[in-house]
Amino acid sequence: MADTAATAGAGGSGTRSGSKQSTNPADNYHLARRRTLQVVVSSLLTEAGFESAEKASVETLTEMLQSYISEIGRSAKSYCEHTARTQPTLSDIVVTLVEMGFNVDTLPAYAKRSQRMVITAPPVTNQPVTPKALTAGQNRPHPPHIPSHFPEFPDPHTYIKTPTYREPVSDYQVLREKAASQRRDVERALTRFMAKTGETQSLFKDDVSTFPLIAARPFTIPYLTALLPSELEMQQMEETDSSEQDEQTDTENLPLHISTVGPAFCLLHSTPKTHPCCPQPITLGSRHDLPRASGFVLGT
Amino acid sequence: MPPTGLEPARMNRKKGDKGFESPRPYKLTHQVVCINNINFQRKSVVGFVELTIFPTVANLNRIKLNSKQCRIYRVRINDLEAAFIYNDPTLEVCHNESKQRNLNYFSNAYAAAVSAVDPDAGNGELCIKVPSELWKHVDELKVLKIHINFSLDQPKGGLHFVVPSVEGSMAERGAHVFSCGYQNSTRFWFPCVDSYSELCTWKLEFTVDAAMVAVSNGDLVETVYTHDMRKKTFHYMLTIPTAASNISLAIGPFEILVDPYMHEVTHFCLPQLLPLLKHTTSYLHEVFEFYEEILTCRYPYSCFKTVFIDEAYVEVAAYASMSIFSTNLLHSAMIIDETPLTRRCLAQSLAQQFFGCFISRMSWSDEWVLKGISGYIYGLWMKKTFGVNEYRHWIKEELDKIVAYELKTGGVLLHPMFGGGKEKDNPASHLHFSIKHPHTLSWEYYTMFQCKAHLVMRLIENRISMEFMLQVFNKLLSLASTASSQKFQSHMWSQMLVSTSGFLKSISNVSGKDIQPLIKQWVDQSGVVKFYGSFAFNRKRNVLELEIKQDYTSPGTQKYVGPLKVTVQELDGSFNHTLQIEENSLKHDIPCHSKSRRNKKKKIPLMNGEEVDMDLSAMDADSPLLWIRIDPDMSVLRKVEFEQADFMWQYQLRYERDVVAQQESILALEKFPTPASRLALTDILEQEQCFYRVRMSACFCLAKIANSMVSTWTGPPAMKSLFTRMFCCKTCPNIVKTNNFMSFQSYFLQKTMPVAMALLRDVHNLCPKEVLTFILDLIKYNDNRKNKFSDNYYRAEMIDALANSVTPAVSVNNEVRTLDNLNPDVRLILEEITRFLNMEKLLPSYRHTITVSCLRAIRVLQKNGHVPSDPALFKSYAEYGHFVDIRIAALEAVVDYTKVDRSYEELQWLLNMIQNDPVPYVRHKILNMLTKNPPFTKNMESPLCNEALVDQLWKLMNSGTSHDWRLRCGAVDLYFTLFGLSRPSCLPLPELGLVLNLKEKKAVLNPTIIPEAIAGNQEAAINPSSHAQLVGFQNPFSNSQDEEEIDMDTVHDSQAFISHHLNMLERPSTPGLSKYRPASSRSALIPQHSSVCDGTPTTKPQWSMELARKGTGIHLGVFNLEGKEQSPLEMSMHPVATAPLSVFTKESASSKHSDHHHHHHHEHKKKKKKHKHKHKHKHKHDSKEKDKEPFTFSSPASGRSIRSPSLSD
Repeated sequence: MADTAATAGAGGSGTRSGSKQSTNPADNYHLARRRTLQVVVSSLLTEAGFESAEKASVETLTEMLQSYISEIGRSAKSYCEHTARTQPTLSDIVVTLVEMGFNVDTLPAYAKRSQRMVITAPPVTNQPVTPKALTAGQNRPHPPHIPSHFPEFPDPHTYIKTPTYREPVSDYQVLREKAASQRRDVERALTRFMAKTGETQSLFKDDVSTFPLIAARPFTIPYLTALLPSELEMQQMEETDSSEQDEQTDTENLPLHISTVGPAFCLLHSTPKTHPCCPQPITLGSRHDLPRASGFVLGT
Repeated sequence: MPPTGLEPARMNRKKGDKGFESPRPYKLTHQVVCINNINFQRKSVVGFVELTIFPTVANLNRIKLNSKQCRIYRVRINDLEAAFIYNDPTLEVCHNESKQRNLNYFSNAYAAAVSAVDPDAGNGELCIKVPSELWKHVDELKVLKIHINFSLDQPKGGLHFVVPSVEGSMAERGAHVFSCGYQNSTRFWFPCVDSYSELCTWKLEFTVDAAMVAVSNGDLVETVYTHDMRKKTFHYMLTIPTAASNISLAIGPFEILVDPYMHEVTHFCLPQLLPLLKHTTSYLHEVFEFYEEILTCRYPYSCFKTVFIDEAYVEVAAYASMSIFSTNLLHSAMIIDETPLTRRCLAQSLAQQFFGCFISRMSWSDEWVLKGISGYIYGLWMKKTFGVNEYRHWIKEELDKIVAYELKTGGVLLHPMFGGGKEKDNPASHLHFSIKHPHTLSWEYYTMFQCKAHLVMRLIENRISMEFMLQVFNKLLSLASTASSQKFQSHMWSQMLVSTSGFLKSISNVSGKDIQPLIKQWVDQSGVVKFYGSFAFNRKRNVLELEIKQDYTSPGTQKYVGPLKVTVQELDGSFNHTLQIEENSLKHDIPCHSKSRRNKKKKIPLMNGEEVDMDLSAMDADSPLLWIRIDPDMSVLRKVEFEQADFMWQYQLRYERDVVAQQESILALEKFPTPASRLALTDILEQEQCFYRVRMSACFCLAKIANSMVSTWTGPPAMKSLFTRMFCCKTCPNIVKTNNFMSFQSYFLQKTMPVAMALLRDVHNLCPKEVLTFILDLIKYNDNRKNKFSDNYYRAEMIDALANSVTPAVSVNNEVRTLDNLNPDVRLILEEITRFLNMEKLLPSYRHTITVSCLRAIRVLQKNGHVPSDPALFKSYAEYGHFVDIRIAALEAVVDYTKVDRSYEELQWLLNMIQNDPVPYVRHKILNMLTKNPPFTKNMESPLCNEALVDQLWKLMNSGTSHDWRLRCGAVDLYFTLFGLSRPSCLPLPELGLVLNLKEKKAVLNPTIIPEAIAGNQEAAINPSSHAQLVGFQNPFSNSQDEEEIDMDTVHDSQAFISHHLNMLERPSTPGLSKYRPASSRSALIPQHSSVCDGTPTTKPQWSMELARKGTGIHLGVFNLEGKEQSPLEMSMHPVATAPLSVFTKESASSKHSDHHHHHHHEHKKKKKKHKHKHKHKHKHDSKEKDKEPFTFSSPASGRSIRSPSLSD
């Protein structure tokens, strides 16, 4: 931030304003303030008996002064907020100074010293205006029970929800269609994958890829796979047991399950055990349930 | 001593009230079986047995026991070393590799071999000589203890080892072993008296790996660890006298489940299957309760064990207090289709516990009683469990089966009586095997035998009422249980054996009714009744004129005389009439009750009292008859072909409440493709109250009708709208509802309808596109996620439906089938099949039903020319290691391929598998399928039919299958199907052109030369051209004679031994053995069977006479020539007969020939008499020949003696 090239005295200015003459009001404001501080430092130096000072030292001292004053301000503000006020009072300043190790009692004497120099007030520059945030619509006024000193409501767009959802597919036919084709696709992809990666048999001598059959592999204990229900079936059974299949005459009213990828999905990963949530059909029973979330909940 | 023993072996005497007379000169009272080492790796067993016997004759010095494939190390009797001979003639039935390749010869030799070791004839493979030191002891009839050390190495039958080749100890691998076999097969795994009639108490000890469990009969007394703690010994004790044939064993790392309802019942299954076991057996206690209640008798044994094992020989095998089941019967609660089947198996085995295990039989000819009673009470259980509809449906099914089988093969005889001296001929001469022994019986015959047995029991019940029937059973059981508790009076134990006469006596005592005619008709005689019925209504007399004809001349039929119930449904109600069927009365007048004028609005009363409204517009205005049923209660074993108008069948279908009647009318309606039939069937289909099986068969009938009506059919394809209404969503009719199989009736219907629909054909004889799309949609939208039950059977049937929709490909000049010219419909089908088959690899279905259906469908596609015919895929699925259902389906396809493509290579592959496959059931099944779908038959020209194949098959049945009775009989069946009874036509022509038929006393062309001759009785004329080409062969050929004579002289050592031995045993009159007596004539082992010929005698004596005159020095041969009626004219085309005639004589005593002849063909007596002198003429010659060559049946005995000390002296 400090600019070594800044000229002593009134010419000191930051990099930002350095080369180009800034027309930015905020910059002007900062420049003016800093110039004032430099004048103050210079006069203090003169008062202390210096005849000249290197530009760098002046800059450093200016920085220190600025920091000191800023710290007083910051600290005072904290004290004031600590006591639930918004405007610092004198006592805040005093406490701050005390806290900073400054002997307040010496202040009046110092202010009235004889050899003090009087500096002209800095030229009035406009407070920089914070650019107005984009506003959308009218800010809501406070409702009567909220004291007026409370901050205003933020812009409406930050809190007002604008529900924009797509109509969920609730047409039975489409759902069934979708479920069926989804499952078929997954099964097809899966079996093709298995066929591609393993040995296959073919019904046609000239073509081995159109109807690839996964090669038959004998088992060591064939009856186990043949008799034991697969894990998937077991789960399904437990599930249907718990939600005892009731007499449904019209399936249209059934809660439909949309997750058709379940079974195949499991296979793609690893054993169903490690993915207990996968084969769970996710119900669309209540409309606002996010499929993902409910699947998660069911699974755990 | 048991009084029975004083006069031993009198087996063929009619068993009177005196009880059982043992064929053995001793009584077995107790046997110890100890197996102290079982090696799964080497598949070997080491152990000993100890039999406690009491001689019943003073000079007993030879003891015969049964033992097959066991290696016997040492025999001691009362601690003295005893000499023994081990000789098993069934190992190789015919030796001296003669050129004989005809089945007649084999069957006789085989029956003789089996007889030679038949325990029921007092014979056995193992003959032990009582040491001379003990003779005195024996003369005092004191106890003998026979101790035999034996081992068994890699048994091929009797014990089956299942050892999966995975890592780990035997227990971890799930290795197990169990006993198995067909009928009495215990001799395969330890020496014993392998008869159902020799009862004794048992002590069974098995030392096995500590991780294994040994399950056997009786109570588990204790299990003791060996001192190194690595093995355990299971001690079982069976105090109820039991036949050795009912002893069983299963050893494996079983999971054990004590039945939660009955603590004395324990279930065993292989590792990991416990949950299935729990579910499967959860029903068993109800079966127990049912049987105990109807029999008013407690289950006889103190415990019951069920063991479920892999690679089962049969699905259900019942042994004393233990049943061995196939593990594939286990199922989870999600499986619908298997549940009733498994329950039926459980119930069946339990019924056999009472009758079959606890109560045993005296001889093979009493088997029908046991099978009959157990089958009958099993039927009662069916009725109670599945309902009357199911029961009646089952009875009808069984009846149809037996009728079809008997008509096909010529009859099933329940109670064969043998060797009553006079009756020399084989009672089952129409068959290609002997029915004298269970072990010579074709498996199919035996299945049908059981079926007939229980049906006959039901007939008896019809006659004497169920109450009496159950009383009889109760009486048998209580007698037996009293006897069984007599620990020290072993002669009482024969009360536990049932005999035909005892059973009949019991019936007459209890019921006071005479059922002799019934028994004579159905039990002592084979055949079923074939009725043809038609009627006319006489309006003037208001009488129904019913005509009932019978066919009793075709094979497998018999004449029925007696009462026959006829039910007539008239407008005023249903009326039963009992007609007397008599010899000559065909017409029966039945008065009608109703006038034909009908009252409008009046309800019509049905048989069951129900009154219904009917739309009577369809019926004949003049007649009050709605429908007529002949023998509605199925109280005759019959087939009825009845003619009535189509509207009558339709009324019967709609309104008759009996499922059998509905079934019959559905069958009849196939012949009436009219809109009215269509409507009746659709109505039935929709009727919820209607029995589901009727509805299912209505589906198929509807498909047939629709196809016949294809040009006039209106509306959507049959059943489509019905299916849509029943099973599809209301809003979108092309989508099936998500599966919910809670209602089994609709489940079965839902499964069946698409299968039937796929049979529909349009005018181009293609499956309508609409139907195919419909089925594809069903598959696509199938959704089982909310279903409580598995849909694997449903999906499998959908694939079956796809397969049904396939029609032959349009082939352009036989182009090679490639992917490019694949029909687009077939492409869709193939896509589904591919996906299903592949998904099965990832998510296998229960019992792999889907794979099975896919394989079948692929074969259908191949057969119809859509996909290149190739067995490679099936062969890979047929390998060992696939689930057995898959293997069988694949093998079926290979068998079919072999037939269609006449592939020698595949046939060899199959034959190789028959010999080498590790699973006995699969071996049996291949033979069975080859027999059912043979690559060629005896009258067919086929490149496959060659000498090598004949030799191969001959070897297979002669010696290759000696370890498995069922397999050997299966091989015999196949040989018969392929080559017939006579010499296979593909063999190089034999020496002789003509043969003499001893029995028929006629000469005929050597059947070898006329392969077709065997074909059918009807084929009277033989294609002359086939003769013409053969004339050249009929040159003299005398070598054969010499050859045969050499055979005669080399009497085989074993045979000599047997006959020798038989003589020795004969000391007291031994009726059972009498036929073997003439050892001097060297025909000791020649069986009683006379030829299998029952051809009707023909007018050919002239020829035979001529022949006889010419034939000095000809050999006489007997060939079966069923009705070879070559006309004299034709015969004279080949005036050949100077050549020495073939070949081998049959033992039929020549002196009896003429009687015999007459007996056989009494219808033709008159004709015969005319030619009697000619016969005599031949007789002379006959007997001459007899002397010269008394023994052409080269010895049936073979096998080797392991040690033959001192016996041959």
